[in-house]
Amino acid sequence: MTNYIPTIGIEVHVELKTNTKIFSNSINGYGQMANSLTNVVDLGYPGTLPTLNKEVINLAIKAAKVLNCNIRREMHFDRKNYFYPDNPKNFQITQSRTPIGYDGYVEIEVEKTKKKIYIEEMHIEEDTCKSTHRGDKTLLDFNRAGVPLIEIVTKPCISSSTEAKLYLEKLKELLFYSDISDCKMEEGSMRCDANVSIRKNEQDLFGTKCEIKNIGSISNVGLSIEKEIERQAKLLDSGETFKEQTRRFDNKTCDTVLMRVKETGNDYRYFPEPDIPYLYITDEMITEVEKTICMLPDERRTIYIEKGVSDVNAKKLIQNRELSDYFNTLLSEKTNFKIASNLILGDISAYLNKNEKKITDTTLTKERFLELIEKVDDGTLTSKNLKDILDVILEKDISISTIIKESGIENITDDSTIREIIKKIISENPESVSDYKAGHDRAIKFFMGQVMKETKGSANPKLAMDILKEELK
Amino acid sequence: MRQVHNYLDLSLIEINKLFKEKKITPTDLVLEAFDRVEKNKELNSFITLNKEEALKQAKELEQKEVDSLTFGIPIAIKDNIVTKDLRTTAASKMLENFNPIYDADVIKKIKDANMIIIGKTNMDEFAMGSSNRTSYFGLVKNPWDKNRVPGGSSGGSAAAVSSRIVPLAIGSDTGGSIRQPASFCGVVGLKPTYGRVSRYGLIAFASSLDQIGPMTRNVYENALLLNTICGKSSNDLTSVETNEDFTRLIGKDISNMKIAIPNYYVNDAIDKEIINKLNEVVELLKKKNCTIDYVDINYIDKAVPLYQIIAMGEASSNLARYDGIRYGYSYETPENIEDLYLKSRKIGFGPEVKRRIMIGSYLLSGKNAKEYYDKALKIRDDLRRNFLATFEKYDLIIGPTNTTTAYELDKGLDDAIKSFLDDILTIPVNMAGLPGMSVPIGFSDSKLPIGLQIIGKPFDEAKMYQLASFIEKELNLDLNPNGGEKND
Repeated sequence: MTNYIPTIGIEVHVELKTNTKIFSNSINGYGQMANSLTNVVDLGYPGTLPTLNKEVINLAIKAAKVLNCNIRREMHFDRKNYFYPDNPKNFQITQSRTPIGYDGYVEIEVEKTKKKIYIEEMHIEEDTCKSTHRGDKTLLDFNRAGVPLIEIVTKPCISSSTEAKLYLEKLKELLFYSDISDCKMEEGSMRCDANVSIRKNEQDLFGTKCEIKNIGSISNVGLSIEKEIERQAKLLDSGETFKEQTRRFDNKTCDTVLMRVKETGNDYRYFPEPDIPYLYITDEMITEVEKTICMLPDERRTIYIEKGVSDVNAKKLIQNRELSDYFNTLLSEKTNFKIASNLILGDISAYLNKNEKKITDTTLTKERFLELIEKVDDGTLTSKNLKDILDVILEKDISISTIIKESGIENITDDSTIREIIKKIISENPESVSDYKAGHDRAIKFFMGQVMKETKGSANPKLAMDILKEELK
Repeated sequence: MRQVHNYLDLSLIEINKLFKEKKITPTDLVLEAFDRVEKNKELNSFITLNKEEALKQAKELEQKEVDSLTFGIPIAIKDNIVTKDLRTTAASKMLENFNPIYDADVIKKIKDANMIIIGKTNMDEFAMGSSNRTSYFGLVKNPWDKNRVPGGSSGGSAAAVSSRIVPLAIGSDTGGSIRQPASFCGVVGLKPTYGRVSRYGLIAFASSLDQIGPMTRNVYENALLLNTICGKSSNDLTSVETNEDFTRLIGKDISNMKIAIPNYYVNDAIDKEIINKLNEVVELLKKKNCTIDYVDINYIDKAVPLYQIIAMGEASSNLARYDGIRYGYSYETPENIEDLYLKSRKIGFGPEVKRRIMIGSYLLSGKNAKEYYDKALKIRDDLRRNFLATFEKYDLIIGPTNTTTAYELDKGLDDAIKSFLDDILTIPVNMAGLPGMSVPIGFSDSKLPIGLQIIGKPFDEAKMYQLASFIEKELNLDLNPNGGEKND
C-alpha cells in the first residue's frame, strides 16, 4: 500500500454546564424522565420566542479564552433551516456568520515535541432533541432540545490518529477544568466528528474528504481515523475514486460504515435570527469571565513537578480536579509535596472513595494536613499507623499530635528499646546476616519486616534502619 | 326578550360611569356583545367565540372594584395571538384544532386589566393578505358595504370594531395589517413602534416586522388600549421598556407642528377622492399654523420589494415548524416522515401561504441569500436612516393610508401582486420600524371610509395621538356604519 499523507480536521460539540437551556428557562439536565425538562419554547410552539441565557455567553467567552481564540465583539445568531423530526422549529439557532471565537489553538505534545492544533472557529448553538428508534416508530425526547452547545472546529492540521487523540484529550481536560462542560462522551455531553482525507504529496491538493460522525469515545476516534485512512488508501491504490460522504463508526465491526453520500450544495438557507438582537461583548465582560478561569492543567503539571511530585502523581492529581484544587491550596506553603501527593492519592483517596465523600467534606483542613505531612515526613507516623488513625484524622477536628497520643500508637523512638529488639532479631537470623554481608538487598528488607512485626509497626522506620545498619556492620 | 340598550355604543368613559353607579354590569355588556355578534353574523368577523368563559369572567368581575376605564370592557382578539384554552387558528386549516397551552404576553395584560375576551377574530391565513380573503374560515365583509372587503389581514378585528360588536380589538401589522383594514372600515388602528408591544404569543409571520397593536372606535380609546398592552417583556428580547401615558397629549394644542408629506404619498396611483380628503386635512392644519412640507424620502418606493424579500424569507422559516409532528394538522396515513411533512403542509396550508413559503425559501437559497436578503437588509437600514433624517426637521409625517377605498369582494382575486400594491403606503413604516396609525378622515362618494396615515419617529406615539385627536375632533365624523344609533 502506498504511503499517503493524511489530513484530519475535527469538530467537537460540547454541552455547556449551565443551569438552564440556552433560549428558554427550562432546566438543563441529563437522565431525567423523557420530556420532563421542556416548555413551549423548547417545543417550538406557535408564538414562542427565544430568550438568551447570559450564562451561555459567559461560558463561551471562557471557552474562547481557554482555547486561545480571538473573541468577536459584535455578533448575532443565525437560523439554519432544515426539516428533521429532532429539530422542533425545523430551524436550529446557531452562529454561522459571526462565531464568538476564532483563530485559536490547543497545544499538544507528540513524542516530546510541542505542536499547536489550530482552531478555525468556535460558535454557540442549541442542541436538538433526542430521537430513539423503536421498530418503525421514533420516540422524541425534548429534554435535550435547547441545551446550549459550543462547536469547536479545527483547521485541517491534524496529521495522525495519535495527534487527534491527544488533541481531544487536551481539549477535554481544558473544558472540564474550566467548568465549561462535563465532557462526558458516554452521556453525549462531548461529541466528535472527524474529517479525513489523504494525499500522496504535501504539494498535492487535499484529497476527497469523508466525515465520520458522532464517534463515541476518544479511542474510537483514533481507531476510526486509522480505519478510514486505510479504506481510502486501498481505494486510491486500486485506482478508484469516491465521493464526499458521511460515515459512522461501528463499534462491533470496528470499522466505518457509509451513512450518506453528500449531495452538492446542502442548502441550509442561513439568515440572521431576527428574534435575538445583536450581541456586543465588552472588555468588562471578558475581564469578569477571565477572573473565573482557574489554573489550567498544564500550569498545574509544571508546578507540581517543580515541587518534587512524581510525573505519575502529577498526572493522577490533575485527573481529579477536586483533589488537584485541594492540593493547590498547599502550594504557597513549605512542605514535602511528594509525601503530600502520596497521601492524597493513596490512603486519603481510598477513604474518600469508600465513604463517597469529597475532600472538602472531611475535617482535613490545610493546617491539619500540613501537620500530618510533617508527622509522616519525620517518621512519627508509619504508613501502618496512619491507616489505623486515618478515619479519626478525617472525621475529627483535633490536632494530629493529639490523635497520635490518644491512640497510643506513638512510635518507639527510644534508641535502646529498638536496639534491643534488633539485636535479638540479628542473633536469631544468622543466615540473613550472611546474605546481607554478601550484598543481597532483600536481607535488609527482611530485617526491617521483622522489626516492624516485633514492634507491631510502631518503630520509627528511619531510626530502625539506622540502628539496623549499625548493628549489621 | 331582553331590552336592547346599545350600551356598546357609549364611550368607555360613559360605560365606566354606569359601572361605578352600578347601573350596568359587565354581564350586560357581554350579553349585548354576543347579541351583536349574532346580528352581524353575515360579516363573519369571528372564527371562535368565547361566550361561556366571557360570561363567567363577567360574573366574577361583579365582585371586583371598578378600577380602570378598561374594566369589564369586551374585546376581540385577532386569531394569530395565542389564548390559553381558547382555540387559536391563525385562520388556517393547519391550526384548525389548535388549543394553546399558554397566553400571549398581551393576553395576560388584557386579562389583568379585567377586559373580557369575546372571541377570536377572522383574518388572512397566517396574516398573509390584505383583504381577509385568504382565511380558511371564509372571507369577512365590510360593515359599510357587504359587497366589499374589510381589508386585511386584521379584517375581522376591524369589522368587529366598526360594526360596534366590541369597542376594542387587537390586531397585528406586518406590512399594514392594522392600518389598512382600519382605514377600509373607518376605525382607528395603530401599529406601534417595533418593540413597543411584546410579540411573545403572536404567531410569527415576519419576525423583524410583526407588531401587535390596538384597533378602536376613537383615538382616546386607542391610546388607552396601548397603555395596557405595551411594555418590555422578558419573553421578547426585541421588546423595549416604556412607561408613559399615551393619552397625555390628547386635546393639547397642535399649533406650529411641523408636518411632512412624502411626495410618494400623493402619487398618481392614489385615488383622487383620497387626495382630496388629505388636502382638506392639510387645510385644517394650516389654519393651526402647522408647517406642511412635501418631501422626498429616498428608497420609500423600494419598500414593497424589500418587504417581499424580508417578510417572505422570514415567513418561510417561521412557518417551518408546522410539520404535523407536535401540534396542528397532521396527515393521517403518511408513508414515511418525508410524506408526513409534504402532505401535512400541502393540505394544511392555503395557496397564498404556500406561495409565500416557496418564494421565501427561494430567496434564502444558496447565493440568493446574499443577493436578495442581505441586500434588502442594507437598503432597509438606509430607508430607516432617511426617515429619521426627515424627523430631524419634522414632528410627524402624514399621508393617505391606502391608495383606494375598500374594493369589491371579487376584485383582483387572480392577481397575486395586488395585495402588495394595496400596501405601498403602509409597508415603508414597518420597514423602518416606526409607529404608524390610520385615523378616519371622511368618506368617498360611495360612502366608504377614508383613512389618514400618521407616522411618527420611534416611540413618539403620544404625539401621533395628539394630532389624530385634533383631526378627529375637528371632523366629528359619524363612524357607525349602522347609522348614528348613539343614544338609547
